[in-house]
Amino acid sequence: MNAPTIGLIAVVIVFVVDIVLLLGLVVLKAFHRRRTERHELRRAAYVATLSRHLASNEQSDRIDEAAADDDAFIDAVIDLRNVVSGREIETLTGLVDGLGLVKRQEAKLRRRFPLGQRLRAAVSLAEIGDETTAPVLIEHISDREAEIRIQCARGLGRMQNTAGIDAILERLGIEDPWVRVRFADTLIGFGAKATWPLAAYIRVNLGHDENRGVIEAIRVLGTIGDREIGPILSGVLRVASDPEVQLAAIEALGFVGGPMAIPPLDHALRSSDWRLRAKAASALGHIGDPSVNRALAARLKDENWWVRRNSAAALGSLPGGDQVLLATMRSPEQPARDAAAETLADIGTLTAARQRDEAGVATEEDILLLEYVIAGDRILV
Amino acid sequence: MLPEDSKSQMSEVKRVLVADDSETVTTVLVTALELAGYEVETAHNGVEAYEMGVSGRYDLVILDQLMPGMLGLEIIDRWQEEGHQIQTIMLSGVDDERTVVNSLESGAVDFIRKPFRLPELLARVRQRLPG
Repeated sequence: MNAPTIGLIAVVIVFVVDIVLLLGLVVLKAFHRRRTERHELRRAAYVATLSRHLASNEQSDRIDEAAADDDAFIDAVIDLRNVVSGREIETLTGLVDGLGLVKRQEAKLRRRFPLGQRLRAAVSLAEIGDETTAPVLIEHISDREAEIRIQCARGLGRMQNTAGIDAILERLGIEDPWVRVRFADTLIGFGAKATWPLAAYIRVNLGHDENRGVIEAIRVLGTIGDREIGPILSGVLRVASDPEVQLAAIEALGFVGGPMAIPPLDHALRSSDWRLRAKAASALGHIGDPSVNRALAARLKDENWWVRRNSAAALGSLPGGDQVLLATMRSPEQPARDAAAETLADIGTLTAARQRDEAGVATEEDILLLEYVIAGDRILV
Repeated sequence: MLPEDSKSQMSEVKRVLVADDSETVTTVLVTALELAGYEVETAHNGVEAYEMGVSGRYDLVILDQLMPGMLGLEIIDRWQEEGHQIQTIMLSGVDDERTVVNSLESGAVDFIRKPFRLPELLARVRQRLPG
């Protein structure tokens, strides 16, 4: 066989393989579409049947036991649980219990394979499981599959199962970052119930697992925002040597707020680490107490640009802070004046000064600010 | 020949339009309302709901606030502007004060939050469609 013939045969083989692959793909897609359509039709039929059960007191249509193994039925139950409330939820729970749906899903979750069915069972239990399901979800919070662990945590969060808080916390420091974030979301959903378990977790685990879990726990506490936690966070800020932990504690104190949050943040404002000073300035601005105006004004002369910027921005959001910034325009230190002028532009003081100047009613501070901007050729709109 | 709206008034059976883009919501409502003796039709987007509403065939419209095409509030506003007197119960998953007040000020006769209790919803419908 000569070379052109071999080449031709190779081209034909490649062409045939491509065609076969393409056909396979088309068939697979059609099969998937048909499966989805049939699933959707069954789901709609189950919604209709279940709606009749909900709307009439007598159970007119018998639901076959096989429905408990049908994903379309489970989807219908989940959909309806999001639409109705009150007695109707009890009716749905009764139907689900009658079919042994929860027990079947628990059994599926306990199997080793297939993964798809186990994951589906975890999602179902997270959505429709009740308190009796909590031990199974806790058992699988350390499942080998990350998505199953996430679903189990979600389910415990939906049930507001307090034993679930400790189970989730046990995994917090050892989870992958993306799972840790999902666990943190679930913990936030527990609200104040999670405050003290989180505080205990931080106390015990500070310094372990590179503080991964501790940092996430501090962030969760900040988002929950329970003011009683202020002393715990300031304690963490005092004893922690890891700057990431300190930064998280400062941020959380800013969210938690209250008078007890101010002294530790004021102290952090004088830290030797510029990151802590900058974060503390932002946190103080977030709290909104003008008693810190003087401390923030001192930071306008900080050696670090971020600290000056955050301090000025914080002053811009605090009552009377604009007056502190305007007074700073008389400072001999240009970095402080720059930071103040930038924030005064951001909060609209510069625009107002321009308008007053155009109207011929500019104040001394307005002129000072405008001259500074013009002299420095600064574009501050 | 009688106009459509007169037909509805003379008819014994009250007609209700359920407008919601969720098929689960419409299925539950249609089932419950039909079992309660109403004649029910459905719309699955804002434009369809608006057009069906202006036909004047319905004694009551249960209207979802968030639908593709047109929002529930927009629909009520347009009906009001065009002089259509349509009794509307607003249905919404958002029940903040602003949404409720805006709905009632726009002309909705009632506001029902999702997820809803069926007996309560039916009681509110009965209140608007006595007899």
